[in-house]
Amino acid sequence: MASGFRIAADIGGTFTDIACLSADGRLLTRKVPSTPDDYATAIIEAINDLGEAEGGVRFDEILHASTVATNAILEGKGAKTALITTEGFRDVLELRRIRVPRLYEPLYEKPAPLVPRRRRFELAERMDARGEVLKPLDPEAVEALIDRIAALDVDAVAVCFLHSHINPAHEQMVGARLRARLPEKFISLSCEVLPEIREYERTSTTVANAYIGPPVADYLRSLSNRLKAAGQDGRLTMMQSSGGVQLIEQIIAKPATVVESGPAAGVVGAARMGARAGYDNIITFDMGGTTAKAAMIEAGRINATSEYEVGGGISLSAGLTKGGGYALKLPVIDVSEVGAGGGSMVRIDAAGALKVGPQSAGSSPGPLCYDQGGTAATVTDANVTLGYLNQDALAGGTVPIRAAASRAAFETEIAPHLGCDAHEAAFGVHKLANVTMMRAVKAVSTYRGRDPRDFTLFCFGGNGGVHGAMIARELEMTRVVVPPAAGVYSAVGLLFADLEATRARAFLGLLDAATAPRAEALLREMEAEVLTELDQARPELRWSADLRYAGQAFELQIDLPRDGALADALGTVRETFEAEHRRSYGHLLDGAIQIVNLRVLGAVAPRTAGGMALQERSRPAEGTHRPVYFGAEMGLRDTPVLHRGALAETPVQGPMIIEEYEGTTVVPPDATVFRDGYDNIVINFVREART
Amino acid sequence: MSRQIDPILLEVLKNGFEAIADEMALILMRTAHSPIVRDAMDYSTALCNARGETIAQGVTTPMHLGSFYDAMNHLVQTFEGRINPGDVFVGNDPYIIQGQHLPDIYVIEPIFAEGRICAWATTIAHHADVGGLVPGSNSIGATEIHQEGLRLPFLKLVEGGVENPMLFEIIAANVRVPEQVIGDLRAQMAAARAGRQGFAKLLERYGANEIEAYAEALQDQAELFSRKAIEAIPDGRYSFVDHIDGLGADPEPIELHLTLTVSGSEITADWTGTSNQVKGGINAPLSFCKSNVYAALRSIMPEEVPNCHGYTRPITVTAPPGTLVSCVYPAPCGARGITGYRIIDCIFGALAEALPDKIAADNTGGSTLPSFGGQQGGKPFVFSECVMGVWGATSAHDGQSGVPHMGSNQSNVPIEMIEADYPLRIERYGFVADTGGAGEFRGGVSIQREWRALADDTYFGVRSDKAIHPPHGLFGGGEGKPAFTEIEAGNTLRAMPPLATQAETLNAGALVRHRMAGGGGYGDPLRRDPSRVAEDVLDGLVSVEAAATAYGVVLSDPAAGTVDEAATAALRADMRATQGSGS
Repeated sequence: MASGFRIAADIGGTFTDIACLSADGRLLTRKVPSTPDDYATAIIEAINDLGEAEGGVRFDEILHASTVATNAILEGKGAKTALITTEGFRDVLELRRIRVPRLYEPLYEKPAPLVPRRRRFELAERMDARGEVLKPLDPEAVEALIDRIAALDVDAVAVCFLHSHINPAHEQMVGARLRARLPEKFISLSCEVLPEIREYERTSTTVANAYIGPPVADYLRSLSNRLKAAGQDGRLTMMQSSGGVQLIEQIIAKPATVVESGPAAGVVGAARMGARAGYDNIITFDMGGTTAKAAMIEAGRINATSEYEVGGGISLSAGLTKGGGYALKLPVIDVSEVGAGGGSMVRIDAAGALKVGPQSAGSSPGPLCYDQGGTAATVTDANVTLGYLNQDALAGGTVPIRAAASRAAFETEIAPHLGCDAHEAAFGVHKLANVTMMRAVKAVSTYRGRDPRDFTLFCFGGNGGVHGAMIARELEMTRVVVPPAAGVYSAVGLLFADLEATRARAFLGLLDAATAPRAEALLREMEAEVLTELDQARPELRWSADLRYAGQAFELQIDLPRDGALADALGTVRETFEAEHRRSYGHLLDGAIQIVNLRVLGAVAPRTAGGMALQERSRPAEGTHRPVYFGAEMGLRDTPVLHRGALAETPVQGPMIIEEYEGTTVVPPDATVFRDGYDNIVINFVREART
Repeated sequence: MSRQIDPILLEVLKNGFEAIADEMALILMRTAHSPIVRDAMDYSTALCNARGETIAQGVTTPMHLGSFYDAMNHLVQTFEGRINPGDVFVGNDPYIIQGQHLPDIYVIEPIFAEGRICAWATTIAHHADVGGLVPGSNSIGATEIHQEGLRLPFLKLVEGGVENPMLFEIIAANVRVPEQVIGDLRAQMAAARAGRQGFAKLLERYGANEIEAYAEALQDQAELFSRKAIEAIPDGRYSFVDHIDGLGADPEPIELHLTLTVSGSEITADWTGTSNQVKGGINAPLSFCKSNVYAALRSIMPEEVPNCHGYTRPITVTAPPGTLVSCVYPAPCGARGITGYRIIDCIFGALAEALPDKIAADNTGGSTLPSFGGQQGGKPFVFSECVMGVWGATSAHDGQSGVPHMGSNQSNVPIEMIEADYPLRIERYGFVADTGGAGEFRGGVSIQREWRALADDTYFGVRSDKAIHPPHGLFGGGEGKPAFTEIEAGNTLRAMPPLATQAETLNAGALVRHRMAGGGGYGDPLRRDPSRVAEDVLDGLVSVEAAATAYGVVLSDPAAGTVDEAATAALRADMRATQGSGS
C-alpha cells in the first residue's frame, strides 16, 4: 500500500544528501558521510533513520543521483572494453579532435583513451554519407573477430562504424552477433547510443557508455537488492544528465545518460521551485567545497547542450576549451563549472599577487578552521574571518571549527603581504573567488548573448548562500533566491524531477515542405517508442529539431509544433529559429535551414502536491549578533544572526546572516531580505532602472 | 601612472577581458560556414587597447595572436581622425597593412567611450578561398603576391552602422566559394560585435579612465612576468639552423638561421643568415615572424603570464628584409604557415640545451595543408583542412600523436562532415608503427590520412614538410621517420614533392596518401624501460623487430607483452659496445 512518502538521495564523493517528502508535505533532510565501499549503506542508514523518526515507513519511491559513472571515468576504473570500428579508422578514438584546452603548453599530455589501441579492432565494411553500402560486411570476418574478442577477457564491447547514424545495418548485424555469442558482455552500439554525425564524438560517447556500463549496472543492481532486503521495494529511479529521472532498467541499458546526474538534480529543483514561486528566468549558482557550477533557466526552461566532456577538469561550457576530457555528446543540462569552492586554497604568487585556487584542500584536510592538518588558508577561512560563517561550528552545530586558526592565517601571513588588515585581505579572497565563479555564471549567460541582469540568481550547495548575494551585486543582478534546504538541494531537486523518456535520430534534409512529411513520420515513430517506454503514464510530449543554416556546423535546438501538419508550421519554425539565432549570435542569414536531428521527449510529472514545508533542524539563539565585514565601503557591521523561520515576510534591510543546518546565507547591508510563500529567502538589491 | 592599482580589481578585469575574447571566439565558431573555420578553428580573436596592443586573446591560434599589433598599428595610424562608432574594418594584405597572408582576413571594430576610442574588438580568420592561382589560395607555385588572390587594404566594411554593399560584392566576385567567405565574414562581424558589446559593459561599469589604467597595468604585469621568465634562462648566445625541404620536384633546402641572445631579462632573436625570400608562396612577413617568436617564448613562460602585448616588450626580433622570415613586396606568402612553424621549432631547437626539461624533441613540422577543388553540381567547391600533429618526446613523456603544433591550436575536420559535403572519401586516418624516433622517451608516431577523389578534374595541392629533413631527436634520441605524400591512380604510384609547386589534377578514383613525419625521440633508446617497449608492441606502435633493433628489447611472448630480461640485457650490452666502438 502506498505510504505517500518519497525519498531522494544525492550521493557525492564525500557526503550523501537526503531529502524526504512526507505524505503530509513536510520536507525532511539529512546530510550523512558517503560510504564509498558500498554507497547503498549511507542511503539505507538515512532511510532507516528517517523512517524510524516517522514511525516506520515504506517509501513509495526512491530517487537518486550518483557520481558512480563520472568516478569510473575520472578514476580509470571502468570496464575493460574492446572497440570495433570501420577498417582504416581504429585510431579515431585516440586522435580525438586534436585541439587542446590551453595554449602555450609544449609539454601537454592528452588523456589516455578509454580503450587502448591493442583492444581496438577494424572490420572491412563501408557506407557512404547517404548510407549506401560501398563495402558489405563479411559475416565470416565478424565471427572471427568475435572469437578474438572472446579470448580477451573484456567486460564490454563498443561498436562504431562510419555513417552508421544514417544507415545502422552493419552495426546492428555486428551487435546481434555479439549479443548472441557474448551474452554476458555489455554491448554498446553507436546507432543506439548516439545516432548523430561526427565520428569522433559518436565513437567517444559509445565507448564511454561501454566503459561505464558494467560498473553502473553492478552498482544499480546492488543498490536495488540492498534496498529490497531492507524492506524498501518502492520504485527506484535515477537522475539523468538531461534532468529527468528514469527507471534503473533503462539506465542500465544506456548508462552514459547519468554522467552529470548530481548537478542536474539541483537545476531541476531550481526550475520547478522557480515555476511555483514566480521566478521564470533563473541562473543557478551551486557552490560546494571544490567547484562552483552555473546553469540557466529561461522562461521556465532549462538550457541544455549536447557538447559535453567528462573528466576534462574545469569546463566553461560549450565548445571553446574542449579537448581535455572525453567527449560525451548526449543531452545534458548546460552546466558550466569552475574550480572554486569553500576549499579553494589561497596563495601569493611569484609577482606578489593574491591567487585563489584552483588547488583545493577538499574536505580532508580541509580549511584551517577544521583543525585537521590543513596547511593553507581557504575561501572558507576567509568567510570565517569575515564573520559570514558561525565562529564555533558549522552545519547547525554538528561540525565544530576553530575560527582563530582562520584569522591567524590572514593576520600573520596574507594581510602583511598585501599591506592591508586581515579583514581587507579576507574580503579580497572572498571577492577573487567570486570573480572566478562569475566566469561560470557568464559562461551560461553573456557567452550566449543573455544579460544576467534579466535573471534571478538561485543559490544552493553548501556555500551558495554565502557568496550568492555578492556575486549578484557584481553582475548587477537584482534578485537572489536561496531555497529551503539549499545545502542539500540536489536531493530536493530529485523530488521535483519528471520521469522521462527521450529519442533522437539523425535526419538529412532541409526545413521545407518537401521534407516535412518525412520528418513528421519519423517524429511520430519516435513518439510511439516514447509512449511504449513510459507505459501507462500519460506523459507531456515535446518535439524538437536541431536546426542550422545550411553550411554551418553548429545547431540550435528549436521546438516543433505537435498539433497539425508540420508542413503547415514551417513559417513559425523558421521564425523561432531566426529569433534564437539573432539572440545567440546577433545576426541572421538568408540561406536555407537544415534539419540535422529530430528529438522527442516524453515527461511524466511527479507527485509533489501539497507543497514542501521545511522542518528546521537547528536555529541560532534569539538575539544573536556578531561583527561582519562587508568591504571597505560598508565596513564592519554588527549583524543579526537568525534562522529562516524567523525571517519576516516583508522586506527588511540588511545586513543579516541566516544560519541553518543546511547552510548559511549572507545578506549584505545594501540589500533587503524577506521570506516568500515557499520559504525561499529572497534578497533584493534596489537599483536605478537600467537605461 | 599616478592611479593606485588595486590588485584584486586587476584580477577581476583580467578575467573579464579574457572572458570577452573567449566569447568572441565561440560566436565565430558557431556561426562560421567553411570547414577550415568552423571545424578546424583556424581563426583568432582578441581585444586590443586604443593603440592596438593586445589586452586579451581567445583560446585560439597563437601564430595569429602575436601579429595583431603590427596590423592594428597600421590601422590606427592610417585612419587617425576618420574612425567613428559603427565602423567595421576589413583587410588582409601583408604588405599594405602588415597582415599575414591573403586568406587571413581581419575584421575589426572600434570600441568607443566618452567620445574616444578606448579599445578594439579584433578577429582574424583563414578563409576558404580568396581567389588567385589555385582553390584555397595557398599556391606554393605563386611567384608574386598578385597571383595569390584578392588584396585588401584596410577598408570600411561597415561605415557608421551602414554596410558597404560594394565591398561585399567585390569580395564575393573574387573568391571561388562566396557563400562560405561571406558567411565567415559575417561570423567575424558577429564576434567583433559581441566583443564590442561585452567591453562596453565594462566601460559603462568602471568608466573609460579606470579600464584603460587597468589595461595598462596588465601590460606592465605581463612585462614583469616575462622578464622574470627570461632571467631564468642562463645568459648567452644560442644558435640553431633548420631547413625547410624546398620547393617543387627538385627541392633545394631553404635554411633558417637563428641566433638567440639572452641578456638578463631581455632576449633577441636574430635571423641573419637565413635564406633569401623564395619564388614560392612560403615567405613570411616580419610581423608573422615576430608573432611566432613571441608564441614560442610565451610557451616556456609560466601559465600565469597574462596573454597580452606586454609580455613581448623584452623580446626583440630582427631579420634582414628580403629573407624568408622578413619578405618584401612582391614575394608571395599564401603558404607561409610552414615557415611560421619552423620559426617556432628553431626557437625550441636553440633553447633545448639551456632548458632540457621545457623543450620537446622536434615535431612533425606543423600541420600539413592539403587543398582540393573543382566542380560539384555545377558550382565550384574548395576543401582544405589541417592534418596535425605529431610531437617529439620530452624528458618526462613520450611524444604525443594527435595534439596540434604549439603554433596553431586547431581541430581536424570530421570525416563524416567531409564526405557529406564534398566529392571526397577518406579511406584511412590513423597511426603508423615504427615511425616515432627511438628514445628513452619515444617520439610520437606518424599520422596517415588518405583521400580518394570521387570526381574527375579534382585539383589537389599540398603544403607539407619534413620529407627530406625529418624531425631530430634530443640527447641521444633518434630521428622520426620522414613524411611523404603520394598519389595512387590506377596502377601508378607517384610521389608528390613536400611543397608541390605544380598543381595536380586527380580523376575519380585517384587516392592521395599523406603521412606526417614521426616525432623525434628523447634520450638514449637503450635506457627505455623494456616494459614500455613491450606496451608499444602490444599497441602496434613498435614492431617486434624494431623493439630489438632500436631499443635492444627482446620479447619472449610478443602477444602477451612479455620481455625476455636476460636476452634484453645481453642485446643491450652488445649494442652499447658496438655504439662505443663505432664512435
